[in-house]
Amino acid sequence: MIDVKHLNKSFGDVHVLKDITETIEKGEKVVIIGPSGSGKSTFLRCLNLMEIPTSGEIWFEGKNITASKSKEVDILRRKMGMVFQHFNLFPHLTILGNITLAPVRLKLMTKDEANKKAMALLERVGLADKANAYPAQLSGGQKQRIAIVRSLAMNPDVILFDEPTSALDPEMVGEVLDLMRQLADEGMTMVVVTHEMGFAREVASRVLFMDEGRIVEQNTPKEFFESPQNPRLKEFLSKVL
Amino acid sequence: MSWFQDIIDSFTAAFIEKDRYLAYFEGFKMTLLISLFAVIVGVVIGMIVAILKYTSMRKKGLWLIKLITDLYIGIIRGTPVYVQLLIIYYIILTSRDTPAILAAVICFGINSSAYVAEIIRAGIEAVDKGQTEAGRSLGLSGVTTMIFIVMPQAIKNILPALGNEFIVLIKETAIVGTITVMDVTKAAQNIGMSTYNLLPPLIITAIMYFVVVMVLTKLLAIFERRLAQSDRR
Repeated sequence: MIDVKHLNKSFGDVHVLKDITETIEKGEKVVIIGPSGSGKSTFLRCLNLMEIPTSGEIWFEGKNITASKSKEVDILRRKMGMVFQHFNLFPHLTILGNITLAPVRLKLMTKDEANKKAMALLERVGLADKANAYPAQLSGGQKQRIAIVRSLAMNPDVILFDEPTSALDPEMVGEVLDLMRQLADEGMTMVVVTHEMGFAREVASRVLFMDEGRIVEQNTPKEFFESPQNPRLKEFLSKVL
Repeated sequence: MSWFQDIIDSFTAAFIEKDRYLAYFEGFKMTLLISLFAVIVGVVIGMIVAILKYTSMRKKGLWLIKLITDLYIGIIRGTPVYVQLLIIYYIILTSRDTPAILAAVICFGINSSAYVAEIIRAGIEAVDKGQTEAGRSLGLSGVTTMIFIVMPQAIKNILPALGNEFIVLIKETAIVGTITVMDVTKAAQNIGMSTYNLLPPLIITAIMYFVVVMVLTKLLAIFERRLAQSDRR
């Protein structure tokens, strides 16, 4: 579904991603872990071209998106949801407005259809009563669940999660992870950058470890956590587990 | 108490005799008119300059546009508006039937546009970058994201500053008398000349400016509070 070929990314003189080649299949739940500054967020953000790669190719559903025009990229992004660390809900719109803005503006649904779909999704995450509230009235966990619903409203083929629980109070992490777990169970393709090792262990179909701009080890969660090979990974796991 | 009577007399002469108060009000109407139209011209040009500068700052290929907008803003902010007024009236708009009022509006409009451009650009930049990212990640184009996500939030930063710009203009336009526009300051000078006493009309004028500026500042503060409230909903 997503093919990354020889991806390089530099910010000025800093070489953040070094020749990454990786394939993500449909239905996979790929969890990326690694120390901060290892390039995992940048890697994720390259997948939907939030960051423009310095070199290399990214193919999504058979299309080389790194060679696509910006209009085509906009269309590809409809199928690639993204959930951010800081939620990035639109503060001037109600929850319903947040969810329906893109589908309606892009003429994918009429206002009524979008509202109906949004209400169904809100019902599902138990936040239907917040439809007409504004983001500032919600807790962090609620905001992040709304952010996930907002990307779901576009019927994406894959959702990219960029440290979705890192900005949350500890007691709110659970509700967000529960929702992500549900999506995973339903077969959503997910790429998740996170520090939640428990989530990686339970939900991931594959765990990648990034260090200094490279994917240095990857495996099924069981193997990954029980018999890590790379010394950097062993050191990392010994610190976080 | 004759000195007190003198003051009363001189103010009566400056304000009430021969219906002179009408001249102040007519003059102040002119001041407000020029300021209002100047701020409108300023917003229109300033918006264009702000968008050009904002876009050119993000695309390396547009360095020439960035240079031009930087020069435009730099020159206008770096020279006195009085000099700009003289240049526009006496050197650029020299056609005989150009009304001085038009020259004043154009001059203060252009002058204001440089400040407005920076107000708008700063207002846009103050909106969290994550907002743009969220919009783009949903597949919205850059323009749609700007119009429906960034701008509605930027307006809250921009509007109060624009109101302030209007208030500043009310005071700055006091120099338009130089190019024969009959604003309130010029009217006061004329009255002072005909009564041989310049102080009372100037004090009256100062009070008028002060009252209007204070009222507008207060209104703006209330308006700003309202905007801030809607953030907390």
